Amino acid sequence: MSLLRMASRYLLARLPVTLLTLAGVALGAALVCGVLTLRRESERAFAREAALFDLVVGGKGGTLQLVLSCVYHLDLPSGNIPYADYEKLRRDSRVLWAAPIGLGDNHEGYRIVGTEAHFFDLPDRGGRPLFSLREGRIFVDEFEVVLGSEVAATTGLRLGDRFAGTHGLVKVPGSEVHGDFPYTVSGILAPTGTTQDRAIFGTLASVWKIHETEDRLHSAIQGTATLQREAPRETTAVLVRLETPGLRLHLADEIRRRTGGVAAIPLNEVMRLYQGVIAPMQRALLVVASAVVVVSCLGMLATLLQAGERRRRDLAILRSLGANPREVATLTFLEGLLLCVGGLAGGALLAHGILAWAAPSIREASGLVFTAWSFDREEARALGVMALCGLLASLVPALAAYRRPPLADLSLEG
Amino acid sequence: MKTPASDLVALRDVALRLGIDSGRKIRFTLADFRVGEGEAVALTGPSGCGKSTLLNLIAGLRRPDSGSVRVAGCELANLGEAGIDRHRGKVCGIVFQSFHLLAPFDALENVMIGLRFSGMGTRDCRRRAEAALDRVGLSGRRHSSPATLSVGERQRVAIARAIASDPPLLLADEPTGSLDAATGREIFALLCETAREAGRTLLLVTHEESLAASLPRRFDCSGLVESIAAVEAGPATGKGGEAG
Repeated sequence: MSLLRMASRYLLARLPVTLLTLAGVALGAALVCGVLTLRRESERAFAREAALFDLVVGGKGGTLQLVLSCVYHLDLPSGNIPYADYEKLRRDSRVLWAAPIGLGDNHEGYRIVGTEAHFFDLPDRGGRPLFSLREGRIFVDEFEVVLGSEVAATTGLRLGDRFAGTHGLVKVPGSEVHGDFPYTVSGILAPTGTTQDRAIFGTLASVWKIHETEDRLHSAIQGTATLQREAPRETTAVLVRLETPGLRLHLADEIRRRTGGVAAIPLNEVMRLYQGVIAPMQRALLVVASAVVVVSCLGMLATLLQAGERRRRDLAILRSLGANPREVATLTFLEGLLLCVGGLAGGALLAHGILAWAAPSIREASGLVFTAWSFDREEARALGVMALCGLLASLVPALAAYRRPPLADLSLEG
Repeated sequence: MKTPASDLVALRDVALRLGIDSGRKIRFTLADFRVGEGEAVALTGPSGCGKSTLLNLIAGLRRPDSGSVRVAGCELANLGEAGIDRHRGKVCGIVFQSFHLLAPFDALENVMIGLRFSGMGTRDCRRRAEAALDRVGLSGRRHSSPATLSVGERQRVAIARAIASDPPLLLADEPTGSLDAATGREIFALLCETAREAGRTLLLVTHEESLAASLPRRFDCSGLVESIAAVEAGPATGKGGEAG
């Protein structure tokens, strides 16, 4: 019988204590792995999304708010810019791709984004098309819409289905429903792994039409309607991809000076958000998780020492049977090793399993699309450090077993 | 002085400080003790006279402060810690009063573990362990855990473990001390049989006059432990007690 098998039998012989110790180590490891994976994947998801657009040009207001509302569909936009500004941008030779987006309504909490058909020509950073249709076609007529993959999956809408938009960007019970302007589903997009999967794309013209009609209705009700020329067209923001990303800062400055709006660089905004808000929170979480790991290792050490005390007689018997000090120390060390490796592996599995299980909810709540079963060097390093702590904890009772003369414990009854 | 080839155990001019007993420093001394191959010797004497100490010295579980302990032709003082453990595993089979079985393992595994440390391969370990359990009449209880065995059966497992590696020397420290009279007699008979049939040397510590009398040789350990000095006032600093 190998020492490893003997060690596992000793662990099984005190199963409740073994399970509790394993749970302690696993929880510590799960916390660390969970925080690291969340950090890595959220950073990657944010950056991937942010990198799709070099600039977001919108009305006066905060640049972070502009990026969150127009790229991630999370916040409310601060204002509009003239449609003419978009047309100027599109003609600019430094611009590879630009598309207007008009926000204002939602369906079941999913934003209805008014844009133009060439929005779907946006390439990813590898030069491949980001969007592809799973079914149907791109909208042509007013009030035709293309659904992001997640919208289609969650709402159950299919090609040809009709639905009414609700005023506002978030789902609020009792909100005004635009029942007079039903949308028709003309196409469904394949998943892109970005927050665009959570949007409903229609024509900018339909957004204008709904809100102009409503503005006129409200004015008539309030008796403030006046005869006036058609108001100049506006759009919430313009998403821009440049021929060269290096031009971002230069063009952003130029737009700020030339127009009344602001130009945000999504990557910069996301990094600012990360460094200012998310990273400190994650660092704090990591500190807590590390403290849990240290406590778990101390718990494991206490368990091993206690087990070692209870097994002094057994180790002495093994010595009387011919086991040398190195063998009894190895046996004791292997128990710690099994607890440590089992706990860490269980913790890593637990963390990634929970993240995989929670990924759809996180995606729904925050728009973050991430791969739960990914593993990187930083996580491996963290697990390595935890393993080292566990192994050091295992060495303490092993050394005690190595040094203890067998005769001291052979007279103990048990 | 050279140990004759037929002496399996030879102790000469052995001295060992044992600690303090009843406020006095005590010491174990033994000028000369020899046991030949195949001999069966009862070690007798009152409690604390040094019977168990003698057994532990022979097993290498204790090292003397001075003197020579030779077992199976090997001077134990020349062996390191690991060497003495390995030597013990190969040469000595030890049976304790309180059986000392390992609770997480069944009867067969308890015997196999003993063999494992004498350097035997797994297949050989299993074959020998099964044979040893058959020999002590426990072939039907191979997979019983120690907790489910009677005290007599536990001691049989301990005997099987002691003889499984076919050691030339059996050391039994009051093997019947925890058993009722009838079971004690059975176990004693089994020990003697297993020693005799394989030509093993048996050293058996016992308090029971009838058992001691039935062995061909008796060694009275009275006088092996002596007080050497009174301890000065203050807390005791050593431990006695083991000299049984």
